[in-house]
Amino acid sequence: MLQYIVKRLLGVLPTLLIVALFVFLFVHLLPGDPARLAAGVDATPETVELVRKDLGLDKPLPQQFVRFLSGVIHWDFGTSLRTKRPVAQEIGDRFMPTFWLTVWSMVWSVIIGMAIGIVSAVFRNRSPDRIGMTLAVSGISFPAFALGMVLMQIFSVQLGWLPTVGADTWKHYILPSLTLGAAVAAIMARFTRSSFVEILGEDYIRTARAKGLDETHVVIKHGMRNALIPVVTMMGLQFGFLLGGSIVVEKVFNWPGLGRLLVDAVDMRDYKVIQALVLLFSLEFILINLIVDVLYGIINPTIRYR
Amino acid sequence: MKSPLRSLVTAALGVFSLVAAPAFAAKDVVFAVASTFTTTDPYDANDTLSQAMAKSFYEGLFGFDKDMKMIPVLAEGYEVSKDGLVYTIKLKKGIKFHDGTDFKADAVKANLDRVTNPENKLKRYGLYNNNIAKTEAVDDYTARITLKTPFSPFIAQLAHPSTVMISPAALKQWGSKDIAFHPVGTGPFKFVEWKATDYLKVARFDGYWRKGYPKVDTITWKPVVDNNSRAALMQTGEAHFTYPVPYEVADVLKAKPDLELVAAPSIVLRYLSMNTQQKPFDNPKVRQAIAYAINKDALAKVAFNGYATPAEGVAPQGVEYAVKIGPWPYDVAKAKQLIAEAGYPNGFETELWSAYNHTTAQKITQFIQQQLQQIGIRTKITLLEAGQRIERVDTWQDPATAPVRLYYVGWSTSTGEADWALRPLLYGESWPPKLSNTAYYKNPKFDADIKNAQLTTDSAEKAKLYKDAQETAWNDAPWAPLVVEKLLSAHNKKLSGVYVIPDASFNFTEVDIK
Repeated sequence: MLQYIVKRLLGVLPTLLIVALFVFLFVHLLPGDPARLAAGVDATPETVELVRKDLGLDKPLPQQFVRFLSGVIHWDFGTSLRTKRPVAQEIGDRFMPTFWLTVWSMVWSVIIGMAIGIVSAVFRNRSPDRIGMTLAVSGISFPAFALGMVLMQIFSVQLGWLPTVGADTWKHYILPSLTLGAAVAAIMARFTRSSFVEILGEDYIRTARAKGLDETHVVIKHGMRNALIPVVTMMGLQFGFLLGGSIVVEKVFNWPGLGRLLVDAVDMRDYKVIQALVLLFSLEFILINLIVDVLYGIINPTIRYR
Repeated sequence: MKSPLRSLVTAALGVFSLVAAPAFAAKDVVFAVASTFTTTDPYDANDTLSQAMAKSFYEGLFGFDKDMKMIPVLAEGYEVSKDGLVYTIKLKKGIKFHDGTDFKADAVKANLDRVTNPENKLKRYGLYNNNIAKTEAVDDYTARITLKTPFSPFIAQLAHPSTVMISPAALKQWGSKDIAFHPVGTGPFKFVEWKATDYLKVARFDGYWRKGYPKVDTITWKPVVDNNSRAALMQTGEAHFTYPVPYEVADVLKAKPDLELVAAPSIVLRYLSMNTQQKPFDNPKVRQAIAYAINKDALAKVAFNGYATPAEGVAPQGVEYAVKIGPWPYDVAKAKQLIAEAGYPNGFETELWSAYNHTTAQKITQFIQQQLQQIGIRTKITLLEAGQRIERVDTWQDPATAPVRLYYVGWSTSTGEADWALRPLLYGESWPPKLSNTAYYKNPKFDADIKNAQLTTDSAEKAKLYKDAQETAWNDAPWAPLVVEKLLSAHNKKLSGVYVIPDASFNFTEVDIK
């Protein structure tokens, strides 16, 4: 197992290199001149040239790429074109708020989502299932920004129980994590349900029931473990997406997170920030995938790694 | 499985307890604004908001009052030499920087030398280097600035919120780049901290030279991007002042008993520029027809919820030397007649671009599209995203092939003076990529007026030249003038002394809260 993990981790490097190259080419293909954007509408051509030099954008592309790569190796992502602060600091400031928001959203949505999914599967086509799935479909189709605004209107403006925006205290986490987790909970519920429905029809479940086990035992002990594999896969994917920072939720709740940073960076063609962020997101996905693969082995010991 | 989970939870709780809410002191005010600040250094900023925020800790030699009238701030007054080249500025005495050093003429020299030095690569370099030849400190309280060529709007440029006085000692200590993270000025508030993601905080400067001010202890500038969230913040009382208020939520805020909605006049002009170098817009009759075909009153109601008034001239009222000529009448019959005379009785097809891609711009372009259909002009709308705009309009190199045709855009004359309202937008040498003459307008008569007005220091003569220039441009109609916006802000009724001034900057030295 350890050997497998090390092997996988080494495999990360070439992947990241390819990602880096593509991102670099891609951001330089975006229309619009960042020097001009940074200099502003009323800047003279000489000023734009000054800004271009200042940002290091006057050098030929291959040279810029080499500088970018060698910077990355030394853990130096350059300075933001927009704020002139180090990119590592820009991202560092925003990583933790996004990370904790993701964690809390995942915690409640996975617990609630799986519970709804299991109940729906056990009471398939009966009223608990109908209610659960109605909730799930609403959760998927209700747009996050609308949910966020409704929640804020009710709990902050009308009732005054919770703060509106920011990320300072635990109270600030409640509304955004509810908003962010709603869609995930819904997806988890549907996944868990379909996975359970399939498992509950298997022979070994019938055997378990035949040997006289009570239903709770059958579902939790014999069903759960086997139904969990696709659910965990989905969980990993969702976690990865959320870690990228939800643009909509971060905008509504003015969350100091990565999603807004990415939007600002793309708007201003802040090449260095875009590159570093995409690299970070790729790395996160790769690591999550690895963790999910390892979890497979823990959940189902018949899966072997080489 | 259990222990990592437990440590995760403990860690989370730890984080929460560390960032407990700060204790609130006596007079703290919170301003909610629409976007994050780019920098605290006004010489390196190109957005009005960052410069407005920087007024917390910086002041200029001159400034604008809340009605955009120019007033001396750190300067006592000035004299201009006969040839219009040498400006001698007397400074006020007894003013201190936050770091305790005295404000003297060497500060004027240090700041203007800094921005005119290309090595500092400041974004406002071009604006200053174009006209300043040298700056000298004659004695402690007299500064002398020599220009390269006479430039009569020069004092207006010194009044612009980008021309501020940074402490020379601090500049030396932190260097030209890092001063942006350690601003030290003469303003009413000292810089405390800037958390780029969250807020920028300033606190009262006890040694402020205007006695009795500032009246509050701290100001927290909070960028909140989402319009509805900003409105929610005002309703819960978490913020005391907000700008801009989007039209959609204006009525909601107006209805709240503890809030006051203010619609202030502005010098933000919205217009539809037409590429005069390209057929069919090279024909003045076509351009006039388009100007006649748009109902500006209805546009103000439909797209701006009534928070705008039809444009009354080439430069909006409130700009010095602006002349009231219009509004351009809405007359479809006349428009049809003109377009037929121009040889397009059945109209034509063309492109309609917007310089912005927000929802208000969408409403405006759709309205224009529908209005132009009345005289047979069929338009294809494109809302340009910032990058596209730069590529297709602002930096297009060859005027002969410029793809821009009808172009909805706006301009805020940040110096409050006619030169900056007219020259960047209509002067023959201001075609993109140099400046923003997106109509590619060129009229020797207009150009001569602008040039001569720069050279004269006689106010009456200037007024005459600018009047002639504005009337010329109005009649040539390189634009269909649309509307002048109103600036919507909201504040808590407990708050006083905060004003949105016509160029969309803020004045808040006198801010107070009950």
